[in-house]
Amino acid sequence: MLQRIRNAPPRYWLVAVVILFFVGWPTVISSFQTSEWSQAIILAIAIMGLNILVGYSGQLSLGHGAFMALGAYTSAILAHRYKMDYIVTIPIAGLLTGIVGFLFGVPALRLSPLYLALATFALAVVTPSLIKRPDELTGGVQGISLAPPDPPQFASDTFSAVTGAPMTSDQWIYYVTLAFALVLFWLAWNLVRHRAGRAMRAIRDGEVAASASGINIAGYKTLAFGISALYAGIAGSLFGLATSFVSPDTFPVSLSIQILVGAVIGGLASIPGPLVGGIFAYFLPIESNQWVPTQTWIPSQIAATVVKAGPAVSYGVVLILIMIFAPNGIVGLVTTGYTRLRRRLRGAAEREAGQMPPDPQTIS
Amino acid sequence: MQGLTQQVISGIATGGIFASLALALVLIYNAMGLVNFAQGEMAMLATFVAFTLIDHGMSYWIAFPLTLVIAFAGGILIQRIVIRPVERAPVLTMVIVTLGLATLVNGLAGFIFGYVPRSFPSPFSVQTVDILGAFVSYRDLGVIGVSAVVLLAIYLLLQRTTVGLTLRAAAHHPEASRLLGVRVSWMLALGWGLASAVGAVSGIMAAPILLLEPNMMQTIIIYAFAAAVLGGIESPLGAVVGGVIVGVTVNLAGTYLPFVGGDLQLAVALAIIVGVLVLKPNGLFGRPSVRRV
Amino acid sequence: MAALLEMEDVRAGYGPTSVLHGISLSVPEGEIVSLLGANGAGKTTTLRAITSGVHWSGHIRFGGKSLSKMRTEDVVRAGIAHVPEGRGILTELTVEENLKLGSHLRRDGAAVRKDYERVFEYFPVLRERRHLSASTLSGGEQQMLAVARALLMRPRLMLLDEPSLGLAPMIVRAIFEIIKTINQTDRVAILLVEQNARLALEISSQAYVLEVGRVAIKGASAELKGNESVRRSYLGY
Repeated sequence: MLQRIRNAPPRYWLVAVVILFFVGWPTVISSFQTSEWSQAIILAIAIMGLNILVGYSGQLSLGHGAFMALGAYTSAILAHRYKMDYIVTIPIAGLLTGIVGFLFGVPALRLSPLYLALATFALAVVTPSLIKRPDELTGGVQGISLAPPDPPQFASDTFSAVTGAPMTSDQWIYYVTLAFALVLFWLAWNLVRHRAGRAMRAIRDGEVAASASGINIAGYKTLAFGISALYAGIAGSLFGLATSFVSPDTFPVSLSIQILVGAVIGGLASIPGPLVGGIFAYFLPIESNQWVPTQTWIPSQIAATVVKAGPAVSYGVVLILIMIFAPNGIVGLVTTGYTRLRRRLRGAAEREAGQMPPDPQTIS
Repeated sequence: MQGLTQQVISGIATGGIFASLALALVLIYNAMGLVNFAQGEMAMLATFVAFTLIDHGMSYWIAFPLTLVIAFAGGILIQRIVIRPVERAPVLTMVIVTLGLATLVNGLAGFIFGYVPRSFPSPFSVQTVDILGAFVSYRDLGVIGVSAVVLLAIYLLLQRTTVGLTLRAAAHHPEASRLLGVRVSWMLALGWGLASAVGAVSGIMAAPILLLEPNMMQTIIIYAFAAAVLGGIESPLGAVVGGVIVGVTVNLAGTYLPFVGGDLQLAVALAIIVGVLVLKPNGLFGRPSVRRV
Repeated sequence: MAALLEMEDVRAGYGPTSVLHGISLSVPEGEIVSLLGANGAGKTTTLRAITSGVHWSGHIRFGGKSLSKMRTEDVVRAGIAHVPEGRGILTELTVEENLKLGSHLRRDGAAVRKDYERVFEYFPVLRERRHLSASTLSGGEQQMLAVARALLMRPRLMLLDEPSLGLAPMIVRAIFEIIKTINQTDRVAILLVEQNARLALEISSQAYVLEVGRVAIKGASAELKGNESVRRSYLGY
């Protein structure tokens, strides 16, 4: 056992450090900031879902906001109308959304990637109006308000033992979110490493060849859709928990774009990518919003418009630049940089042996 | 019966708006096999340009063509700067780039012009005229007229001029066209310029009805997707026919089907998109041809 | 006097695979030159190098000017017409539109009209089918269209890649007759890649035989035709 720990590759240590960081983080930041980080992690979960679909199985969906909405409303309705414990509703919402996603995957098989993008984009735009309609169930335009849960005794005790202050609701929500995130990321990592993941990647890289090797294309593609939707559903459900409120206007098309931006920036077809992407996509607009008004040399009217428009402009520019210069996102840049550094450190020996540089993973 | 005729003609007018934007999508699809998700936002920005010109005293009928020229130039610029670097990339990458472009243009419009909705002038009054017993507004007739003129002009350009011929050649057979001395790369830019100009028409026609603000075209683009998909994404004629059908259908559904009402009209467009793609992916006029690269 | 087209020590390939290992040839003004050899010898790649369809190194000069770093369409605009393997017919367009793409760069309206008349004289079937889609033409008719289109370009040099491929012997004869006529009437130089060595040697004045990316034999066509051992070992007849 000790031997295995000592022989574990450096990557495993990095993961352990990251996990420790996230577990300990709320103890040093304010409760409000903790709730922001919850939302970033929630975004990361949704992005992980999209990543499974786009990065690993090559199907482009622009409608993940819609799946988040489904998850959020499922939980909200179960908790609000049927008085279920919110935490219990989360996996239910995820499962329901996953099944819906799986069913979506069936007609999606017949669509070329471009048409799939088109159809899911339309879905994302239509989602708010679809939510508003059955207003008996969904609360219509006004949405559903939820009471923030109190932390259970064991959690609060542990927390105050460490920090000396009682745990707030926001902090409890953060740990619930983190728990789900850890499980989901671990599942994704396993999925990718084993047969299903390899099958999906084979499909992404060339359907004809994959089908020739006997892979059940339809099966894996719909499976990818279902799993991807499940992640988005759980993310949506957690989102409702974190904001204590769901309404049609909290799921506009820009949410789907935000998820895509996060996936691309972080790096498609990678496991750490979604986490990086989620943090980046969530905090970029907020930081620029907070930074701009503090710059006194910017007149307040302009500042107000920049605050409103800035995120969109920066998202757009970043998306374009990344696609042109770094299609594998930040993680891709880091991995390629690291590989190049290693090669240079290892010296000329490998080059003389005529080794070809490894192909970066690309989306097809 | 009166009401029906009115709704149909009104639907044809909105259909003209959809058809123009759909035609822009078709032009770019034919050139690159790509759906330009930023088409609506580009049209919106062009409409803001028109607004600025008119606001500064220019007459509508001078600002209109001038805006088309500016939009044309803008389309070429966008192709040269943003699209060309990723020309050889896989389709998904290009889709993401156009999404980035859409976000960027939307934000830019918000940044420059703000988010307060403005009213946009129309040269056609809303007064109605009696046609076949139905009261049809001059505005609807005007929109139909302008759309028809623009669509006809594009048709003549593509089918009857040498430039149009080289454009079509470059779009369908880039390698073979190079061997005939066609500057394929510039033809692509030209295609984007044309698409941008045609899309601008859609925006200028829509603005008096919808009120001009940065998010104005976000629903129109969905209707335009429906029109293009219905007509066959490769067919300019399909874009026109598809536009009219979508316009009329959505209008009638909104008026006569109680469960659709005003707010679920967009869902009708979604239903059309999904229905066509699942049942007859090539649309009405598309051919199941293999695209040669 | 320098030849119209000069290739010196040209190397070319696709990715890591090298196909041409140093080709040198020249096409004099107004002459027909054959490029012969077995499949895979590099004949098509040679033509592709000239019109920049493949990366090449070495020297290629047309009318004294280097073609290095030029894009395909610019090489063509300099006066080279290339009828590729597969003929390069734009099947989404009509026959007439294909022809128009041949003449679209020219400014001499009256001469263009005359050339159209000649083209329809040589290939009457093109006049009959002018408004039909080019995809409705048979293989032989497409080859005629390709040659007609190249003629309309009024090039100084024509590159023909296997014009006889897949065509019935009678049609091949007809096309080769017309190629000879074009060369004589318009003084167009032609670099002709052919598997059918006998036909090629009949109409050309000079010939190069490629073998595995190098020039194995070169000389006057008449001599090569008469040399039995060359014919047996290199030309297969």
